[in-house]
Amino acid sequence: MKPLLDINRLNIDYQSNKKEFNIIKDINIQIDEKMKYGIVGESGSGKSLTSLAILNLLPDALKVDQGHIKLNTDSTKDLITLSKKEMRKIRGNDIAMIFQEPMTALDPVYTIEYQLLEVLKIHKNYSKKEMHQKGLDMLNKVGISRSEQIMKAYPHELSGGMRQRVMIAMALICEPKLLIADEPTTALDVTIQAQILDLMNDLSESHHTAILMITHDLGVILETCERVAVMYAGQIVEESTVENIFEEAAHPYTKGLLSSIQSLGERSNELYSIPGNVPTPDNYQELGCRFATRCPFAMDKCYEQEPPMFEVQDDHASKCWLHVEEAQDDERRTSRAGS
Amino acid sequence: MSEEQVVLEVKHLKKYFPIKGGILKRTQGHVKAVDDISFDVRENETFSLVGESGCGKSTTGRAILRLHEPTDGDVLFNGENLIDVSKSSFRHLRKDMQLIFQDPYSSLNPRMTVKKLLMEPLLTHKLATPKEAEEKTVEMVEKVGLSTEHLDRYPHEFSGGQRQRISIARALILRPKLVILDEAVSALDVSIQSQILNLLKQLQEEFQLTYIFISHDLNVVKHLSDRVGVMYLGQMMELAETEALYDNPLHPYTKALLSAIPSINPKEKENKERIILQGDVPDPSDPPSGCPFRLRCPMAHDRCAEEIPRYIEAERDHWVACHLYDE
Ligand SMILES: Nc1ncnc2c1ncn2[C@@H]1O[C@H](COP(=O)(O)OP(=O)(O)OP(=O)(O)O)[C@@H](O)[C@H]1O
Ligand SMILES: Nc1ncnc2c1ncn2[C@@H]1O[C@H](COP(=O)(O)OP(=O)(O)OP(=O)(O)O)[C@@H](O)[C@H]1O
Ligand code: SF4
Ligand SMILES: [Mg+2]
Ligand SMILES: [Mg+2]
Repeated sequence: MKPLLDINRLNIDYQSNKKEFNIIKDINIQIDEKMKYGIVGESGSGKSLTSLAILNLLPDALKVDQGHIKLNTDSTKDLITLSKKEMRKIRGNDIAMIFQEPMTALDPVYTIEYQLLEVLKIHKNYSKKEMHQKGLDMLNKVGISRSEQIMKAYPHELSGGMRQRVMIAMALICEPKLLIADEPTTALDVTIQAQILDLMNDLSESHHTAILMITHDLGVILETCERVAVMYAGQIVEESTVENIFEEAAHPYTKGLLSSIQSLGERSNELYSIPGNVPTPDNYQELGCRFATRCPFAMDKCYEQEPPMFEVQDDHASKCWLHVEEAQDDERRTSRAGS
Repeated sequence: MSEEQVVLEVKHLKKYFPIKGGILKRTQGHVKAVDDISFDVRENETFSLVGESGCGKSTTGRAILRLHEPTDGDVLFNGENLIDVSKSSFRHLRKDMQLIFQDPYSSLNPRMTVKKLLMEPLLTHKLATPKEAEEKTVEMVEKVGLSTEHLDRYPHEFSGGQRQRISIARALILRPKLVILDEAVSALDVSIQSQILNLLKQLQEEFQLTYIFISHDLNVVKHLSDRVGVMYLGQMMELAETEALYDNPLHPYTKALLSAIPSINPKEKENKERIILQGDVPDPSDPPSGCPFRLRCPMAHDRCAEEIPRYIEAERDHWVACHLYDE
């Protein structure tokens, strides 16, 4: 069976008359119907741009220069080649997105009701009364208590977390086949976060909605996803099931991420963090591994040649030279033992 | 902390927002976003405010800085009442008090480059010459994990977390005395978050800064704070030193909140006991009688519907508003 969403060799470049550089390189992701897939990585690693590319919403200076993004519903469409109009049909119907910053998605001059019900008006056939009721139900489901009042309110009259939940309601109300959730719970406390994640789960069960969960929070990944891709500097560096990533992380970057969450929650003076920062695209290492400058295990080779995506075990790939070295060592040992 | 100097006193602060309705747009009621809260913030400490979405944390921060005119109550900054001072002296005091907004997207002027965004406050408050301002800008940008090459870029050319760091840099560059950080690190991954938290601590020691840290992330709050206040429906439910609050929470609401902290250890995931709160957060324009938490409280009894619990010092330096502790 074809996956619902098939991102194949996606590359995104920055192009202006002054400069040109690569931002996102060789992203491959397959998401089946009903699957819950996570993308995790530090700030600036390219998570949001990857998701914006799916909906053809990249800022002007950014161009997809290779690869395709196929959506397999009744028919197969390459989302990259769709016109604005065709894309609008898909948005809100097949694919819905929860944006990282609610205020970018909410229009300050319209009421919540107007914005929440807009997708229903376009895609579904409901009476005014039915729509209103659906809106109220949805707001209640995302834990907004005074839903009648909030329907009439404007975005600035809501708290940060309420805005985020209104946006979630907007995305869920149209019961999409694919829900892209970019940091959907950053402004929410744990109780409501749990409620929202449950709600997404329910939707996934009842409508076979697949979820692409984008987050920097490994805890959210653990709670919700089946598979996860770890992104660094515009590339996927490790990909596998959630269990494998948490229990047998292979890539030095993933290991670093895991140790930094484990040190939080202890009231110590210094928190563990991976030394250095994610480079911005204009500073990506041109040759070799993009993580090399921050990697505690970097070897000469890491600065010279790009590591391949290496199958460390069944269904678990990691982009690091260490695995290749280890495999070669193993091979040498076995061949020596054999002779 | 032995000698505790109070920098900020919040007394009976209230902020009600009118709800307009009907064809005539008459006021039909009020959202009691902040409803009579009092607390002190001590010099050089990190005081955190936690509580569910919509409980009034941001409104409290904004009302302290008069970005929302308080409906009632007083706010004293180093003994001076911010509510009565004249506009001009308030503006003067304001540079000592910075707010990092919850939504960096709407608080950064999209037409200014990062360099301009950071230099502007220094120049308007006449705290530096253009040359010094530029040096400070470079230094600050690097401290928040960005680089000088970013100085000529505009806010929309950054990722969400990068934008959040720009707002942090912009607030800290003024070396204020009091900084209100509203969900300032919530969009950041653990690694950069640790880096920023370490930076905040380091600046706090270096410049004797006082922080009011608003966050829903109880792990971060535990790590960073000296004292924590727990809000619910516009009111303060519990306030204590961090350790006392986390090790010995008194209020049923605090207990539920703490039990819900997601585990980062997959093995713990199954055997952790959670207190699931029943029901929704009540409507702040029509709060329940008695204790605001009673409709969701597993310990609620008759008295809770009848009397508003007093806010009392149940243990030394440990305040709580719950009938269970007020026999
Ligand atoms: N319009 C743009 N022009 C140039 N560079 C950009 C633009 N938008 C984003 N970038 C850069 O591309 C990189 C990836 O950005 P992206 O928004 O995808 O990160 P992210 O992983 O979502 O991070 P965060 O967790 O902080 O939201 C960042 O370094 C960012 O500065
Ligand atoms: N300008 C406004 N006009 C009307 N109501 C408002 C306004 N600002 C806030 N409110 C209401 O006041 C209540 C408290 O909002 P506040 O932003 O203080 O919450 P919060 O604790 O910061 O929540 P969050 O964690 O979601 O940011 C909410 O019910 C909100 O709808
Ligand atoms: S390839 Fe080298 S630099 Fe890159 S992660 Fe592996 S060891 Fe580190
Ligand atoms: Mg992002
Ligand atoms: Mg807020």
